[in-house]
Amino acid sequence: MSPAFVSPFAVTRLEWRRLLVRPLAWVLAALTLAWLAWNFTLLLGNFLAGQIQRAAQPDGPGFVDLVAVPLLAQLAQLAFMVVPLITMSVLAGERRNGTLPLLFAAGVPASRIVLGKYLAVLGWLLLWLALTLAMPLTLMHATHFDWGKLASATLGLALMLAALGALGVACSAFASHPAIAAAAALVIALALWGVNLGAQMAGINDGAINWLAMSTHLQSLLRGLVSTTDIVWFVLLTVLALALATRRLVADKERG
Amino acid sequence: MLRLDQLSRRRAGRPAVQDLSLLLQHGQVLGLLGVNGAGKSTTLSMIAGALRPDSGSIQLNGADFLEQPELARQLIGWLPERAPLWPELTVSEHLDAHGHLRGLHGAALKQARTAIIDRLELQPLARRLAGVLSQGQRQRLGLACALLHKPALLVLDEPANALDPVQVAALRTLIREQAAAGTAVILSTHLLTEVTAVCDRVAILHEGTLRHDGAVHSDDHAALERTFFEIAMSGNNQPARAA
Repeated sequence: MSPAFVSPFAVTRLEWRRLLVRPLAWVLAALTLAWLAWNFTLLLGNFLAGQIQRAAQPDGPGFVDLVAVPLLAQLAQLAFMVVPLITMSVLAGERRNGTLPLLFAAGVPASRIVLGKYLAVLGWLLLWLALTLAMPLTLMHATHFDWGKLASATLGLALMLAALGALGVACSAFASHPAIAAAAALVIALALWGVNLGAQMAGINDGAINWLAMSTHLQSLLRGLVSTTDIVWFVLLTVLALALATRRLVADKERG
Repeated sequence: MLRLDQLSRRRAGRPAVQDLSLLLQHGQVLGLLGVNGAGKSTTLSMIAGALRPDSGSIQLNGADFLEQPELARQLIGWLPERAPLWPELTVSEHLDAHGHLRGLHGAALKQARTAIIDRLELQPLARRLAGVLSQGQRQRLGLACALLHKPALLVLDEPANALDPVQVAALRTLIREQAAAGTAVILSTHLLTEVTAVCDRVAILHEGTLRHDGAVHSDDHAALERTFFEIAMSGNNQPARAA
């Protein structure tokens, strides 16, 4: 007898549904988007106020440099708080509800559980990014756009959200309580961001310690510099975090 | 239908189940009896595919279940103890989620959902969140999820917990109905009355080992009670015996 076909997105659909009916996701989206919209108006106000001065500098910073990229940089700051809150329950919550064995009993492999949940979280985060991006894009017909720089910054943000999402899922896989998962994800993300702060203060701007820091890779992309090294760094972090989460789930099933 | 062969599993550093061998045919209802900590839930978790045994084999319809864990998806319906649910989903959404996980889609899922909602009288609760259900309602929803995909083997861990007498009677009718339709049922309980009311066979576990495996007759309550207490009060390492 051949087993019934189960869509690879069955877990994603379940997680997405859970995400959408929880008030936390809506409250976070509403508050952060309101905050970003307010900042967008401030950035836009400053941009308009300095327009006459910049008219004398044809190669000076434009709308993307002064409004869009700083707005995305603010989103990156908010992500350190928002992503752990969105991911904290994905696996730790299942463990607390006792529903994780239901997924195992349905014959869903641990890797597919982790990937399914990760894709749901990633969907929410990319939607959040798209809504933020929509603010500067509303003015695309009214001003000159440096599309290359905007694409690079958007890619950087998407990679960063993907990596933080994976980190959050991994912390949720290891934690017994969602709050512990959120705290762990926040601390690890901040540590990854600023691991090179000491080295920079000592005047060291090169070397392995700087390569380890998330800030190094995001800042390059926000400046419009797309390099394979930066992309690989984010992809490696994402894959490593998801692999650790899968390994933990396999151990959970073995241990019972 | 189901064959357990020398199944063993350690938990928390001690053997929870040791060398358990059992055979279950289609349409048979097996009561798994034992005091708390006897290994009933561990056994059922292994049969349901939620826990991997340390050694031994589980065969479902002749196929090695440990080699093909996806068989559980189609063949087994499991109601764990205390019916774990996603509190933020409604009753209807639970059934959809379980359907998707068990490979049901579209019209087939809709049909199965409607049928099980009608059978378990869940219609008034269909749009209610699982988090606000009473324990009895949770058990009924858990049972609906286990039955949704018409499994060939139904694994029920303490299904009568928190049910009122009317619901217990309805549960017994449902179990007999399933057995009459050819579904094999394993029912874990510590209530002897539950076993004599619905089971064809009883297996008594004590300290992780099978100590008794035999037929049950509804007028046999006193004999079953005697056997159970003899085993429960005895020491370990007694061989399994057939009634």
